[in-house]
Amino acid sequence: MKKFAAAFAVLALSVGIAHAADDPIAIRKDLMEANGAAAAVSAGLLKGEIPYNPVVAKEAIMALRAVSHAFGSFFPAGSDKGNTKASPKIWQDMAGFQATLAKFQKDTDAAAQASGKKGPADLAAFKAAITPVLGNCAACHRDYRLK
Amino acid sequence: MLLRAAVAVIIVLAAAAVAFWYLTIPRPLDAAQLSQYGPGDAKRGERTFWLAGCSSCHARPKAAGEAQLQLAGGLELKTQFGIFVVPNISPDKKDGIGNWTLADFANALKRGIAPDGSHLYPAFPYASYSRMKPEDISDLFAFLKTLPPVAGKAPPDKIGFPFNIRRGIGLWQLLYLTDKPYVHLPQNASAQAKAGQYLVEGPGHCGECHTPRTFLGGMKRDEWLAGAPNPDGKGAIPNITPGKGGIGGWSEKDIAYFLESGFMPDFDSVGGAMVDVQENIAKLPASDRDAIAAYLKAIPPLPSAYTDKR
Repeated sequence: MKKFAAAFAVLALSVGIAHAADDPIAIRKDLMEANGAAAAVSAGLLKGEIPYNPVVAKEAIMALRAVSHAFGSFFPAGSDKGNTKASPKIWQDMAGFQATLAKFQKDTDAAAQASGKKGPADLAAFKAAITPVLGNCAACHRDYRLK
Repeated sequence: MLLRAAVAVIIVLAAAAVAFWYLTIPRPLDAAQLSQYGPGDAKRGERTFWLAGCSSCHARPKAAGEAQLQLAGGLELKTQFGIFVVPNISPDKKDGIGNWTLADFANALKRGIAPDGSHLYPAFPYASYSRMKPEDISDLFAFLKTLPPVAGKAPPDKIGFPFNIRRGIGLWQLLYLTDKPYVHLPQNASAQAKAGQYLVEGPGHCGECHTPRTFLGGMKRDEWLAGAPNPDGKGAIPNITPGKGGIGGWSEKDIAYFLESGFMPDFDSVGGAMVDVQENIAKLPASDRDAIAAYLKAIPPLPSAYTDKR
């Protein structure tokens, strides 16, 4: 019974992955939601609504960094159609879009570098690291997201 | 008989022409009104500059940082009436507005009239700026004078018939140009909400994008701030009333924080043309953002007037 459940879980997982790989729009949305959650944690820390904790701060930075490096791979030709708010400008100007993403990656890499092994030591260090990263949200959504 | 009919037609046409001429006469501010415009304060005018979003259209497209203060124009606004090219309003004497008087400037903002008496297209949001206080206009004018003059005129508009007849804009102004409030706030509305009404309906000109328009391009008062098609093309400008599809779920704090940081309560971020607007509003004192938030919570809740079909 246990074996069956495990096999079923693996099957379900692989089906899930197969489905997702066919659906770049769904993956894009998941990645952006991860970004949104990391931005929420960051703002909570910055506003003092979440007591400062270097581990939590690092988690936010690393989530944003992972998304920054993964996101650009999910805009194949044709994925401008469907239930998406991605702007057609992405496909009209892929180089510009990738350059905007490169800036996001550069900023998240710098933030990861600054946070070190244990995360940014204090709120001031976190603020210095995260502020340039968060600026990328609007900078990219200005041109490449419909709203 | 034929002659009589021809005479009748000519008389009707002449009457129509006279009526058109009369109805479209530019209506500048009178002497008593102009006397309210004193010398402005450039320092205070900077706040009005960001509030009114001047640089978002009048700086060169995609300008950032100091370049936002070079008001060379050149941005193309593509509309159903044609393409409007935003003019140079830097203090350059030849190509900008360096030779304008304060009265010229006030007539442009309050009455939609150029110094030569011709009507300005309402792509310049004077249907909102008409609500501005004289002292804010004086201050703004003083601030604009401190900016660098930039040589070079923007290219002409590309507007087809009949909209290329500027005189006709006088009719539009008769229909849509007023300095009355767009919504009636409840009697017990807070002073903060009333302050926000001025910021939103006047200099902030939020309704120019967030309110749907009639086929003549006037804002629909009964759908105030209920959302509209995106003038830049695809997508929708959101409903920012507390009604269905709007931002009723946002607290005043959420709205103020969005205007300051660009982050919505669910930590989605600001996008599109609103990025410039949010960055401008982030430069204002916190009390202005709080006032805007209080007003947006106090206006009539409306269901979204436009939903994007994609």
